Amino acid sequence: MGTRILAVEDDERIREAVKLALEDEGWTVEGAASGEEAVELFARHVPDVVLIDIMLPGIDGFDLCRTLRRTSDVPIVMVTARNDTHDVVAGLEAGADDYLTKPFAPKELSARIRALLRRVRPAAPGHERLVFGELELIPEEGKVLRDGEEVHLTKTEFRLLCELAENRGKVFSREELLDKVWGYDYFGDGRLVDVHIRRLRTKVETDPAAPRHVVTVRGLGYRLEG
Amino acid sequence: MTDPSVTAPAYDADPAAGDGRMPTTAPVLETPDAVSAVAVADPSARLPPPDAALARLRAERGERWGGRGPLHWLRRWMTSTVGLRRRILLTFTLGALALAAILAITTYGLVRSNLLEQRDSTSVRTAARNAQEVQGALRSTPDTSADALSRLTSLGVEAPVIQYNGEWSAGVGRFTADDIPVALQRRVLEDGEWSRIVADVGDDTVLVVGIPIPQIGAYFEFFSLDEDEQTLNNVALSLFLASVITTALGVVLGVLAARRAVRPLAETAQAAKAIAGGHLETRLPPTDDPDLSILASSFNDMASALQLRIERDARFASDVSHELRSPLMTLSASVQVMEARRDELSERARSALDLLTGDVSRFQGLVEDLLEISRFDAGAIRLHLEDLRATAFVRNAVAVSSAPTVKVTATPRAEHAVIRGDRRRLARVIANLIDNAKAYGGGDPEITISDANLPDEGLTHVRIGVEDHGPGVPVEERALIFERFARGATAGRRTGSEGAGLGLALVDEHVRMHGGRVWVEDRSDGATGARFVIELNATEVSDDGGDGDLA
Repeated sequence: MGTRILAVEDDERIREAVKLALEDEGWTVEGAASGEEAVELFARHVPDVVLIDIMLPGIDGFDLCRTLRRTSDVPIVMVTARNDTHDVVAGLEAGADDYLTKPFAPKELSARIRALLRRVRPAAPGHERLVFGELELIPEEGKVLRDGEEVHLTKTEFRLLCELAENRGKVFSREELLDKVWGYDYFGDGRLVDVHIRRLRTKVETDPAAPRHVVTVRGLGYRLEG
Repeated sequence: MTDPSVTAPAYDADPAAGDGRMPTTAPVLETPDAVSAVAVADPSARLPPPDAALARLRAERGERWGGRGPLHWLRRWMTSTVGLRRRILLTFTLGALALAAILAITTYGLVRSNLLEQRDSTSVRTAARNAQEVQGALRSTPDTSADALSRLTSLGVEAPVIQYNGEWSAGVGRFTADDIPVALQRRVLEDGEWSRIVADVGDDTVLVVGIPIPQIGAYFEFFSLDEDEQTLNNVALSLFLASVITTALGVVLGVLAARRAVRPLAETAQAAKAIAGGHLETRLPPTDDPDLSILASSFNDMASALQLRIERDARFASDVSHELRSPLMTLSASVQVMEARRDELSERARSALDLLTGDVSRFQGLVEDLLEISRFDAGAIRLHLEDLRATAFVRNAVAVSSAPTVKVTATPRAEHAVIRGDRRRLARVIANLIDNAKAYGGGDPEITISDANLPDEGLTHVRIGVEDHGPGVPVEERALIFERFARGATAGRRTGSEGAGLGLALVDEHVRMHGGRVWVEDRSDGATGARFVIELNATEVSDDGGDGDLA
């Protein structure tokens, strides 16, 4: 079974064109015209990647994103109308893994999707368990335990945590993380990292406001501590 | 003869002689110093040459005005060469002067007449009393007037003169019968009337009173008016000083009033400047002054209308761009699908597809630029500032641009320059300049990074120069080239369909938002070609960590 993509977009023509373009990549694309339809399709068959336009009739993109996140860690790409802070950060806070701003070239979209798919299947096999205090990472199984209990992370959050964990104590700049986790060049959007770090903290930290593991190094970046 | 520069705004007949900025049609009014900023928001703005009709109109007006009277000319001179403040000051000064003069002259006149009147009546009374004394004395000793005179002397009468039986005799004073004016003598002696006269005797001004004494002769007495003169002089001096003080007060009041009168103008000027500078929400504060409230409310109405219009234009551009995105998405996705099936197409279809692909991507770039620029207009751009090592940043920006092999060189000092900026927006600036060079500048440019300070100064600015191999930019187009959609004559001559006309405008907006500036000049090495320079604020660091990520 190939990669399945669910594209949620109310403009039929865009949906069709994007579908055609993504199918050229060898992916199977299902289109949904509304959030409600998307939820239905999602329940029937969980795709590998979901593409959501935030401007939807009925439940909007943010709500749809949150709805899907409740039950799934599927990679989500948001399509925003503007790249101003509000839409992007709101989309990321709602659980999106990445975003694109209209109008984007389909090639860009394919590249983003490929990066997300790569993330879902982390490269580094053969890693031992990594222990950071009460946190325990099992890269091979894609699992994180806190005090022995499993913590549910999205694929991107997990990948981010693994990157930080692989070089214990090393400070990673935003740009490094953008490159390693999202596959962006020097000019990626640092907000992706910031929002994901924030989300990660709410899951792995006892007190997210005073993080003990995912630590900010002022002016430099982030570091994982034991 | 009419001087046209007085009757109408002065025109610069040759806009190209200026700095090459876009000619503007805003009339430059002749304004007093504080207000000049209103009319000339951009001091470098030049006016277009007047057309024939305007010149004719001016000539006609000149003729008409030529026939007016001198008062008209004075007023014209006043309004055209004397500023409002000076006019107010002049009015106050002249007003105070006139008022002081009128008051002084009237006061002096009143004081003088009162004083003299009083003097006159007391003198006449005194003389009458003395005449009775004389009459009494002469009755008791009718032989000679000597007794009468000595009696008067004992009474303290200073200057009596008695005519007794046709003989004159005078007291011990300085005055004698010869000093009595003939007219008075005649009136007293011949007409038998009481009379007095003011006369100058020697250096003195005197009042001479003559009283006929029936059957005996006449009595005359001299009253010196020196004291009164002195008093009047003092009064005059006081009045003069008072006038000077009043006038001085008038000047002070005039200065204050002028300042106060001009203040709303200065405020209006400031507001107009702010609006011209992009602060469209600027308004004049409401005022109770009925005269000023007209100015304030009409100014505010104008500002609101302007703001509405500009916002509507901006929203229109933004709406259009937003509407264009959806079909554009469909287009670009469809084109990509067709591109993937190139081999299945005929030769002709492939050529058509190439054209389509090229223009769709150009269209896409244009819409992105339009959206970006409408965000600038809406003031919705927020910079994500961080410290960036200038050289590393530029090299990274070049690496992701359309010409990643462009050579970047830096002066040793520039290697230590750190700029504070939004890396994605500044990268866009570099990319746009590279694209511009590729489109109009004969291919890949070279980039230099240099410090803009003297060796003994601290490093405050860094310059990023993008030098191309094109025909260069003519001097008169150098400012114009950063205008939206202004490709310029040279750009028009350039071949190729690249260049939406917004790239350099966006460069300008981005750089200005970073507090820097951008301009174009000739290549630094003397070869033909343009050199686009971005100057940004920078600081110097001593360490050698060069990854560009200091934030």
